[in-house]
Amino acid sequence: MMQQPQAHASALAVAPSASAVAPTVAHPQDPAGGDAPPKQVAQAMERLGRAGRLIADIRLGADRLLEALFVAGGAPPYSVHQHVDRMERVIVKEEAAMRLHFQDLRALGRQLEESGVLNGALKARGNSWGLHMPLVCPDGAVVAYAWKRQLAGQAGASAVDRTRLALKAFTDQKRRFFPHLEDEVLSHLHDGEPGVTKKPKLIASNGDLEEKSLSEILKNLENEVPNMKIFTYWHLDWSKRASSLASLMDDDFVGPSKELNLQNMGKSRSGVLTTPIDQVAVIELLVPSIFRAVVSLHPAGSTDPDAVAFFSPTEGGSYLHARGTSVHHVFKHVKEHADKALQYFISVEPSKALSLLLRWIASYQTLFTKVCSKCGRLLMMDKSLALLLPPVHRPYHQTSNVGPDLQEAYHIGCSSYDG
Amino acid sequence: MPPVKWLMHWHPSPGATVNSQILSEACGCAESLGGSKDGRWKTSIFFYRAMTRDGAGGPAGQQHPDLPRELLGVALHERPGLYFSIVRAQRLVLQADAAFPQVMEKLQSYRIRVALNFEGFQYQLGDFCLRIGKCVPNNSEALRGIMMEVEYYPLSSIKKSKAVMEDFFDIWQETVAKKSLPGQFIHVDSSFSDYGLSDQYSFQHTAVQYATCLQQLMAAVTVRG
Repeated sequence: MMQQPQAHASALAVAPSASAVAPTVAHPQDPAGGDAPPKQVAQAMERLGRAGRLIADIRLGADRLLEALFVAGGAPPYSVHQHVDRMERVIVKEEAAMRLHFQDLRALGRQLEESGVLNGALKARGNSWGLHMPLVCPDGAVVAYAWKRQLAGQAGASAVDRTRLALKAFTDQKRRFFPHLEDEVLSHLHDGEPGVTKKPKLIASNGDLEEKSLSEILKNLENEVPNMKIFTYWHLDWSKRASSLASLMDDDFVGPSKELNLQNMGKSRSGVLTTPIDQVAVIELLVPSIFRAVVSLHPAGSTDPDAVAFFSPTEGGSYLHARGTSVHHVFKHVKEHADKALQYFISVEPSKALSLLLRWIASYQTLFTKVCSKCGRLLMMDKSLALLLPPVHRPYHQTSNVGPDLQEAYHIGCSSYDG
Repeated sequence: MPPVKWLMHWHPSPGATVNSQILSEACGCAESLGGSKDGRWKTSIFFYRAMTRDGAGGPAGQQHPDLPRELLGVALHERPGLYFSIVRAQRLVLQADAAFPQVMEKLQSYRIRVALNFEGFQYQLGDFCLRIGKCVPNNSEALRGIMMEVEYYPLSSIKKSKAVMEDFFDIWQETVAKKSLPGQFIHVDSSFSDYGLSDQYSFQHTAVQYATCLQQLMAAVTVRG
């Protein structure tokens, strides 16, 4: 055992519990590992997260390629050339993006292998401080939860806590792979409704009730914006819904029952709180006859928005997802602006990003009626795009403590934002 | 679900006539707004007159007073498999299969007196689609009128799209006014609710708009006896 100077030990802020962890303490600058084990584990977790995202991007890219082929194949006779040209460009662009994703994924995979994540090589090393690299099991599950707690400085957790952590990790995996089985275990771990994560409610300095959980955020939003319908989905459910929208919209018959069907389709499958809240991966915001916005959460069940996209309520198909693009110019440009707004909310106020984003999205109810706050007109010919567009920009920067001024709207050319 | 569409027709100034120069100027306006020509279109309208008992059609005759004197048939360019029938007097609009005229042919209860074609070019202007066409009787080249269709793809609700369509109409009129032509385009509001149609735009709405517009254009068309 090597003696460590007190300063070093406290600076590292990790005190492995004597009862449960191997007593060997390594010098933080151990040449064998390069970084200290806690940092290695943190890096490995971060890389696994990135890998997950890349894989999702690749899946979506494949969807997009298929969609492009379908659109080109099913184009109406009078506009075949236009569609085929457009799809050709889409395919070329997508191919380049996919290549990049695959390259990044390969590089990431190599890094993960070297750090021992994919093959458990580091388990045997003696200088690991009792920390194990996250293991990716053949079924794709990542066993790392308990070690994250250690990194957060709570390594002094008792045996009871460790057992609880292990139980939670296994229950999460069970829910993921066997969603049809009942969740009887979790009800006595949390006080409150089963399936709802209770987090402490904090009153912020400006007096607003801070919303910490997803269900709180969505419930408050429902009350504030009554004419916007909110639906939540698991990943797979959303793909089904998106495809069924396509077939609903294609019908030549239009009647009052059809509109009712469209509204009910979302309701019967999952209202705001009927989807188990910790599996929600997609939020759909529908302002009837104006727009449909899709927000994805990553990881599922969290309050961290990942991507956002806007569509016409008449659109349907597998390209309808948070990383997809509308076929209409107006919604394409709203999405471009929304991408920037999302990045802004995440970087400036990560804990409130979702509620800021959802409220900002709600301000687009007036997309087709609110005139530009600068020039006073509704439609304006954008010179550089050569398109007639309504004001698609809505400000997202915070003004003082209150938040963005959601009453204003600007044309692209009238806006003070770049691009 | 079809996008909303406004129909506009050319209303010549008093004393002026409609001619093909106005048509080409209108097409030029579409191009000046950035429109790219991407095809042709053709919608046809058929006027049916009720047949009297003695087999002759026409205003005088022994007709039951409650029977509608005329029936309109509309074959829209966007749905060649469909045929729309309109009874203006009773505010009825019906969507039927394209084979419907054959049934009418067999029944001989109402016969076609006039057939009008609306044909021309279509232009894509971003999220808008403009169709500008001449109105010509079926077997003649004589230009009887000029008609325009304006579609806005992202929206299907008539109420929610009103502001955008009105704004586009203003922009269009400003653009055309620069050419100092003898007349202007007019949009006539159809009373869709009278026909039992909802706020969601449909092909029936288009058929009704054609019926409404044609009341204006009919004055220029000779009705064969």
